[in-house]
Amino acid sequence: MIRLMLTTALAALPLAGAAQEITVGAANVSAYLDPGRDHSNVGSQFYYNSFDTLIDRDHTKLEPEWVPALATSWELVEPKVMELKLREGVTFHNGEAMTADDVVFSLNRMFQATFPPYVVRSKDRLANFASAEKIDDLTVRIHAEREEPLWETLVSLQQVAIIPEDYTKALTGDPAVAEDSDFEAFALAPVGTGPYRIAEFQPGEKLVWERFDDFWGDAAPLERATVVQIAETASRLTALKTGEADIVTNIAPDQLSLIESDPNLKTEGSATALFHVMIMNANHPKLQDPRIRQAMSLAIDRDALNEALWLGKAVVPSTHTMAEMGALHQPDLVTFEYDPERAKQLLEEAGYDGFEITYDTAATYYTNGLLAAQAIMEMWAAVGINGRVNVQDQWSGNDPEMMARNWSNPMYFADPFGSFGVMWAPNGPSEGEGRFNTDEDYAEKWDRFRFSSDVEARKAAYAELMEEIRQNPPVLPLYRPFESWAMRSAINWAPMPGHIPYVLDFRAESISLAGS
Amino acid sequence: MTAYLLRVLIRSAVTLLAIVTLTFIATRMSGNPIDTFLGEGLTAEGREQLIRYFELDRSLWQQYLAYLRGAVSGEFGLSFVDRRPVTEVVVERLWPSGQLLLASIGLTVAVSLPLGILAAIYRKSWIGSAVMVVAFAGYAVPSFILAIVMMLVFSYTLNWLPVVGNGSALHFIMPTITMSGVLIAALTRFTRNAMLDVMGQDFIRTARAKGLGELAVVLRHGLGNASITVISVLGLQIAGLAAAGSVVVESIFSWPGIGQLLVNAAILRDYPVLQFGVIAVAVAVVIINALTDIAYALADPRIRLAHG
Amino acid sequence: MANLADAIPTRRPKTARQGTDLIQKLAILLAVLLAVSAILAPLLTPFEPLQQSLLARLRPPVGFERHAAGHLMGTDELGRDVLTRALYGLRLTLALAFSGALIGLLFGGALGLVAGLCRGWIEDTIMALVDMQIAIPFTLLALLVLSLMGSSLTVLVLVLGIAGWEQYARIVRGEVRRLAAQPFLEAARTAGAGPLYMAWRHILPNLVSPLVVQFTLALSNIVILESTLSFLGLGVQPPQPSLGSMVGLGRDYMPNAPWIVLTPAALIVVLTFTVQILGDWLRDRADVRLRDR
Repeated sequence: MIRLMLTTALAALPLAGAAQEITVGAANVSAYLDPGRDHSNVGSQFYYNSFDTLIDRDHTKLEPEWVPALATSWELVEPKVMELKLREGVTFHNGEAMTADDVVFSLNRMFQATFPPYVVRSKDRLANFASAEKIDDLTVRIHAEREEPLWETLVSLQQVAIIPEDYTKALTGDPAVAEDSDFEAFALAPVGTGPYRIAEFQPGEKLVWERFDDFWGDAAPLERATVVQIAETASRLTALKTGEADIVTNIAPDQLSLIESDPNLKTEGSATALFHVMIMNANHPKLQDPRIRQAMSLAIDRDALNEALWLGKAVVPSTHTMAEMGALHQPDLVTFEYDPERAKQLLEEAGYDGFEITYDTAATYYTNGLLAAQAIMEMWAAVGINGRVNVQDQWSGNDPEMMARNWSNPMYFADPFGSFGVMWAPNGPSEGEGRFNTDEDYAEKWDRFRFSSDVEARKAAYAELMEEIRQNPPVLPLYRPFESWAMRSAINWAPMPGHIPYVLDFRAESISLAGS
Repeated sequence: MTAYLLRVLIRSAVTLLAIVTLTFIATRMSGNPIDTFLGEGLTAEGREQLIRYFELDRSLWQQYLAYLRGAVSGEFGLSFVDRRPVTEVVVERLWPSGQLLLASIGLTVAVSLPLGILAAIYRKSWIGSAVMVVAFAGYAVPSFILAIVMMLVFSYTLNWLPVVGNGSALHFIMPTITMSGVLIAALTRFTRNAMLDVMGQDFIRTARAKGLGELAVVLRHGLGNASITVISVLGLQIAGLAAAGSVVVESIFSWPGIGQLLVNAAILRDYPVLQFGVIAVAVAVVIINALTDIAYALADPRIRLAHG
Repeated sequence: MANLADAIPTRRPKTARQGTDLIQKLAILLAVLLAVSAILAPLLTPFEPLQQSLLARLRPPVGFERHAAGHLMGTDELGRDVLTRALYGLRLTLALAFSGALIGLLFGGALGLVAGLCRGWIEDTIMALVDMQIAIPFTLLALLVLSLMGSSLTVLVLVLGIAGWEQYARIVRGEVRRLAAQPFLEAARTAGAGPLYMAWRHILPNLVSPLVVQFTLALSNIVILESTLSFLGLGVQPPQPSLGSMVGLGRDYMPNAPWIVLTPAALIVVLTFTVQILGDWLRDRADVRLRDR
């Protein structure tokens, strides 16, 4: 599954003289572009081409390998203080030079957030960072509250990408002050340091990238890339056929054979670093007995879902873990399994009387989401659970009446903290929405998992957390969906294993156009 | 005539106020937009903060009054999602929809009038019947079916026509045909019936008796008089039908128009965009209706008198 | 979607009808066929509409390569029988259309009757409502209401019912006012008959014919409206099939499994076509009767 993009990219001859332009037909285009406040699967497509972080990673590799980006070197000068040396000669898309002040401003807009959309992101993943500080023109320091085992990981998050201070502050109102409205305006006229500048942005419709000639690194391979929203699957496929799009996103497995039967087209795909999950409301009066929720989970034959809906290309996990997490990957843990007999037995023990259990899903939000929901109802029926699919577009995860629904747990960064951790932390979003409970015991395990400096200690604590989840389940990861992109055969592009889900990486050595 | 105009104006104003109020109530009854567009994975505290930030913590009555106050001075608020003034967001979508509407009206008139006249003249022969069967069939094929079947044939299979957006003249073909299908069917039947009504009247017989050729009679006298009816149908009904049709057409052909905007805004619960979008469409419909009323009254003095 | 052909009453020569007799016979035949297959759907097919078979997904109709035995029109994305779902969808679509048209008839008819019988501000108010209903692009409003409030069968039936009420109101009011001017009603009134008695005895019988015509024409409009709403995901919710929702959910599979869409789409077209022809035929007959009197 891992493609070595480097070799394919070098093999393809860049065509001199020909216009190196492509059009991408995307299922969704963001309504705003601000790497700080955004953590959606829609937004993650777009940031990497236009923004840089201080530290980056080698995205051709599955396991983290940190590489310099806007910082050329970094070290811990004290247990809780990291010092970073900045790259010289970096220019923003608006022509201003990047300074230590811009870096401090960008980091502190998250670390010490006041703009509410930033506050939310700051709390769920950056809470351990107190502040950033300028030492000299090429040196900044980051101060953590506690010793941080995930320094590089968290400093390379999309949310702490570097944006220009003066430009942002001057967008509205007082040019010396960062007002909320400045950040709102920034999200419509975003400026970064990446290899492509955002030349045109029509929220929810269209985004045009143009090569940024003053980029500090290797020049962008494309002169121009246009992303247009084509919401309908059939329209996206058709646009690829008619040549209106060169790459289209979000192709369901059922459509792959259509593309592959056309000699001018091909598909690239991977089991995305994200789980489609079923969540269950532990506080619903009828579902408080964990045995009911265990049965709901044990009744689902996830391998059958994979075979039928994903042609076997998805990945069904035994626990909430992913290969991308390197040392923290624990595939041996068995937290979730299929055991219909045990499910029947648990239902009987719990005295389940056949009450209806609703399963909420949006009609189209998750690929195959509605299909999986309907298939799960049949699987529930097989063990005696009376289930009903409830289709609604509105998020119901914070509704006390919600019994079960689908959701996704993306890998926001390559660590269990970046996937399970963000969603299921004590006082995190799941508990905050009132469908998941934690106690001191859970919090203590959580703390050991989050902050232990020893990897083995972190693994052991995570295994303990998984055992709690198994005993009293609020969630069942269904699978890592197999997401595909379809494109003209002449395009050499594929999702890279070192990225978070859905990133459209068009940087040097990530894409090339062959022949034509 | 002044009294009549005044009556039309007052009625239009009342309709608009009713629409503003209706959309306001409908949007506010439908749940919190925070849960929809920022819903997943918000902490309870973060959610409260965002609700305050978007000023959704004020009472409904306060929100309504604030909205009306703003509306009077032309301030309709910022989109919840992209934080641009909704007037800007909506207005840039009106023109693509307007273009599509004009193209559809053009096609409808160009096809329906000749067909309707043909059906009226040859009502006793198979030609008339054939035209009417086609008209019925057009009415029976919902626009979404027409759209996806055309897309499958002309774009997916034959690769003749583009499917995304409004970039060129070719882009107009399928959306225009889709929008026009129902309208053509309706207007053809209507033209035929209006022509039959007119052609049976005395002044037509007089014209014939004067020795005018049949074609001249039909075109000069028949069509001239039937056109009053045709105008009223075009004005009164097409705006409404088109507003509905545009939602389907724009979502299938990724047309950057108002229909698509409204559906997306409804799904995201982007109240400010939704409210102003509906108001803008309603204003357009009401203006078209009022103009039609006036044109109709000018063309036919009996109506002016009847309304006093 | 208002029926355009009703806005102005038409007088048509009798001869216009003769050429279309064959089509009308065909329409009656089709109507009977559709009604019977909707009512008898459970007997006509060995499958259940919700019965899945994940191993036989997206199989083409009988006669094509790879088809699954017994599935005449193939299977859908969950391996359910397309023909079975289409027949059950037809059932639900028809049931919704009839309920919607009936609600419109009762609501609009009652308001029209009141408007016709009581002059003055009551009439003005009701007619202002009628004007408003015409001025507001209704389908658009229905879309908004359903997407905001969430769709359930109850809400859907109400929306479908409200969609065409103003047509009934106008017809009934017009007829009432026309009759009220007739000498025999003046006579009855002077003889001491109350308004309710007059409504029942003299006005209702005269309304039956135009209302039946309007009801039929409204049916096809409501079928299209229901299909459109369901197509957009705002009408009947899965897994329950309606003709429109089958087209809506199946459209993603249009390029690789067109039968999922084309089967219900064909039924929608045949259904609306049939009802339109019948409605038109009924109107012609009613016109003739009115003129002959």
